[in-house]
Amino acid sequence: MSGAAQVLVKLLATEATGDLLVLFHKNPGLIDTIDAVARRIGKTGPGVESDIKALVELGILKRRKIGSLEVFSLDRQKDREIQETVAKHLKSDREGRNP
Amino acid sequence: MTSSATRAVPTGLDQLLSGKVREARRVRTGIPELDEMLRGGFMEGDAVLLAGSAGTGKTTLGLQYLVNGVSKFNEAGVYVTFEELPDRIYRDAANFGWDLRRMEEENMFKAVCTSPNLLLESVNILDETVREIRPKRIVIDSLSHLSMLLEERAFRQEAYRLIMQIKTREISSLLVWESSAAGNSMMLTDVGLSYLVDCVIMLKPVEIESSIRKALAVLKMRGSDHDKRLREFEITPTGVKIESAFTNYEGLTSGVPRKVASEKFMEMFRKASETR
Repeated sequence: MSGAAQVLVKLLATEATGDLLVLFHKNPGLIDTIDAVARRIGKTGPGVESDIKALVELGILKRRKIGSLEVFSLDRQKDREIQETVAKHLKSDREGRNP
Repeated sequence: MTSSATRAVPTGLDQLLSGKVREARRVRTGIPELDEMLRGGFMEGDAVLLAGSAGTGKTTLGLQYLVNGVSKFNEAGVYVTFEELPDRIYRDAANFGWDLRRMEEENMFKAVCTSPNLLLESVNILDETVREIRPKRIVIDSLSHLSMLLEERAFRQEAYRLIMQIKTREISSLLVWESSAAGNSMMLTDVGLSYLVDCVIMLKPVEIESSIRKALAVLKMRGSDHDKRLREFEITPTGVKIESAFTNYEGLTSGVPRKVASEKFMEMFRKASETR
């Protein structure tokens, strides 16, 4: 499996990951704790913790400390790069299936 | 874009180093009638409290202040929201013809959405945004959210700290406050917030002859003259439009408006002439 395909698999791994992606894409200025981010998609902190960590590992989300709290925000540059990679992969995949 | 003012404020390390004290300039809202009421605009670096009950147009006025900063005065602005997600703000702003997403792409505007406790934890949460776009204006929508987390005394201390942190970054702030709709007086907050800010603008719905109209008043402006009259305003398809003063009525803020004596006399005269 190519790198782009692996990224795509991770992005679509769970429903919560999809919801988080949509949330951060629509609201790129969102900076919040896990609990607060979870509330904004109608979920709980523990319920999305692993999804947020997966997005951090992919580089889409950034983690930093504000005082004693850990907050997450969108890395716009990295996010754009990943979007382009995935778009290219999907395009070549489509062309491969319909030559 | 700027005009001289009567107050001199020493702000910024550059001034300290140069030994010069700069004349405060005015930060125009870009709403001509409001700037006229403010004798040219807010004083640069001041903290302005924008208070009003739900539905009076606080968010619209706040956004218009930022949008005009970008489009008319080339000044970047930050909008901080706690509860409402930015995508709703972008959508609502588009209804007034304000393309916030484009302004974001041009690095002239940023909508920051966070939790009030994070802003209380440290205003450094805005540092990245401040570094990125170097804003001259910030709108915090709203301080009422912060007040929900703290006791009255602690809230005042934290609000003061927040205001001073913004001031040290030389950013002019507009702090939104949702006041009770039930009150019939000019009292805006129960926590003495108006002492902490330099300027207070009140938005208030007033009932006149069975219809709800909107009134705006500048209640306080440190170091500057300002219009003392209660002015009518409307939310139009292009934003806030300030109309003339309610000169024919008195007692509007008490909740029991009545026509002023001269107007009553004129009305009697008109009626008498119509019946002849």
